[in-house]
Amino acid sequence: MARYTLQRLIYMIITLFIIATATFFLMKLLPGSPLQNQEKLSPEQQKIILEKYGLNDPVPVQYVRYLGNLVKGDLGVSFQYDNRPVTQLIGDRIGPSAQLGFQALVFGTIVGILLGVIAAVRHNTAVDYGATVLAVLGISIPSFVFGGLLQYYIGVKLKLLPVAFWDGFEYTIMPTLALSVFVIASIARFMRTEMLEVLGSDYILTARAKGISGFGVIFKHGLRNAMIPIITILGPMAVNLMTGTLVIEQIFAVPGLGEQFVRSINLNDYPVIMGTTIFYSALFIFVIFIVDVLYGLIDPRIRLAGGKK
Amino acid sequence: MTEKQLSPELFELATERQGDMEKINRPSLTFLQDAWLRLRKNKGAVFGLIMIIVITLMAIFAPIMSDRTYKQQNLSHAKLPPRIPVLEHIDWLPFNGKDMNGINVYEKRGIKEYYWFGTDDLGRDLWTRTWYGARISLYIGVLAATIDLLIGIIYGGISGFYGGRVDNVMQRIIEVLVGIPNLIVVILFILVFEPGIISITMAMVITGWVTMARIVRGQILKLKNMEYVLAARTLGASDARIIGKHLLPNVVGPIIITTMFTIPSAIFTEAFLSFIGLGIRPPEASLGSLVNDGYKSIQTYPHLMMIPAFVISLLILSFNLLADGLRDALDPKMRK
Repeated sequence: MARYTLQRLIYMIITLFIIATATFFLMKLLPGSPLQNQEKLSPEQQKIILEKYGLNDPVPVQYVRYLGNLVKGDLGVSFQYDNRPVTQLIGDRIGPSAQLGFQALVFGTIVGILLGVIAAVRHNTAVDYGATVLAVLGISIPSFVFGGLLQYYIGVKLKLLPVAFWDGFEYTIMPTLALSVFVIASIARFMRTEMLEVLGSDYILTARAKGISGFGVIFKHGLRNAMIPIITILGPMAVNLMTGTLVIEQIFAVPGLGEQFVRSINLNDYPVIMGTTIFYSALFIFVIFIVDVLYGLIDPRIRLAGGKK
Repeated sequence: MTEKQLSPELFELATERQGDMEKINRPSLTFLQDAWLRLRKNKGAVFGLIMIIVITLMAIFAPIMSDRTYKQQNLSHAKLPPRIPVLEHIDWLPFNGKDMNGINVYEKRGIKEYYWFGTDDLGRDLWTRTWYGARISLYIGVLAATIDLLIGIIYGGISGFYGGRVDNVMQRIIEVLVGIPNLIVVILFILVFEPGIISITMAMVITGWVTMARIVRGQILKLKNMEYVLAARTLGASDARIIGKHLLPNVVGPIIITTMFTIPSAIFTEAFLSFIGLGIRPPEASLGSLVNDGYKSIQTYPHLMMIPAFVISLLILSFNLLADGLRDALDPKMRK
């Protein structure tokens, strides 16, 4: 297990290094300059600004300095917000995004598991078909379409919830709902399959034969075992939540990291784009790493297959 | 226990020739025929297939048949709600030419023409733009899936077939690539190369082919130790022939399934890019960029977002349904 974990850890570092390098050189290729209104600035002024950001040095020097700073956890300073450090910017913005992601994950997982279990227990009935249709719809309808519809019907037409912005729990409800649709749908689909398989196994029959109530069998014996493989879809889920926050935060004007990222893209704020990219990637790679290790701990079969290589 | 009376008429003479028992009465089916039979039984998959065909036909022919082009502006006809002949008399359908306040804008402004899906703020016909956008979205989806398919088959095939050190190196490369979040690569790539059909497609391919390569490799690894491969090799078949004639045809099921899942996710990614300002640039349109444009005026002209949003959701749904059905039909073992 230790060897497997170490192997994964090394891959994680290589991947991060490649991402950091690719990000740096792609940003160097970018058209556009951080200098606003450059025609109005005299060549001397331009030179001072470029020097201030270290953009006058040769690219390899910039690259080495960038990597060195990265190791120290310094992601540079923003062009757009008067030299504010990118790490500080990310720190300020991460709150709402993390809250939305977390709420969507918790809500989505609970509803998804319930939906999946009900579909499996009522296998091949109208309830099952209804849940299956809902799940396919949830996977197919893009989150921005769902978010837009929610905003229009619940916010604008019915005026039940605030349309946008970030000012208390009721402002988080619609974005959370829009984000959780995909989570609900994919967990429900997954849960249904796993549950059907588990419910058909012999130990469930034994439990029933011993006279345990239907409810007890499903939740104590069935659900526990069916839930283990859910860990495997946490990775794709994390990616989806990340993609989701970029769009959903735009729609609901949430002052989160995703909204900041999109704004920086449109303003050519390279350090923020680079910093956020590396932050997102590191987060993603870390989630995958944790998922792999957790799964190895829980299911010995994976550990053996991984360790023998 | 009461004993049953056995009488002679309960018995029947056995068939004289035992060979008849083994006779095959039904015509034998090929793999694809068999899969098609199973697919036809799946209502969702058939619905998906029909909708994909309908949307594809509309995407090809609707912009051609309309006398308005996707970029033709007519400011005097701007912001018209949808109005379709015949359907306009059915009140609960949103095709009666009435705006949010229930006023028939066509009559008020004295416009004789019918815009089936209405017009946008520059007076461009949404009917033409929607189907033109569907064309671009489909094109990007299919192109990305095809390139993924080609790279994935070649890479996965070589890696799986040769095994050993070659496989080891190729798999390490894949493992690093898999760790990179798709989304980040796509965004960076498009920032550097201006948004367009080709750059968006290429951005998705960079990390997209990995899934296909992994699946092909897994299948090839499993198949290459089969006896019929040994037989072919004994007969002196070349590596290329064994891969092309014996291995790939047996991997075709998983390949089709993966491709069918790639297309909707590529369509979705393109739409997502439009939403964060990196999509197709106007006057070009894709379903994603139409939804994004429409979203900006959702409070006053909801039809601008609702119609493209409906088409893109339907398209992605149809591909997902068909892919699910194909998975069940092509590989009954994977049935969910």
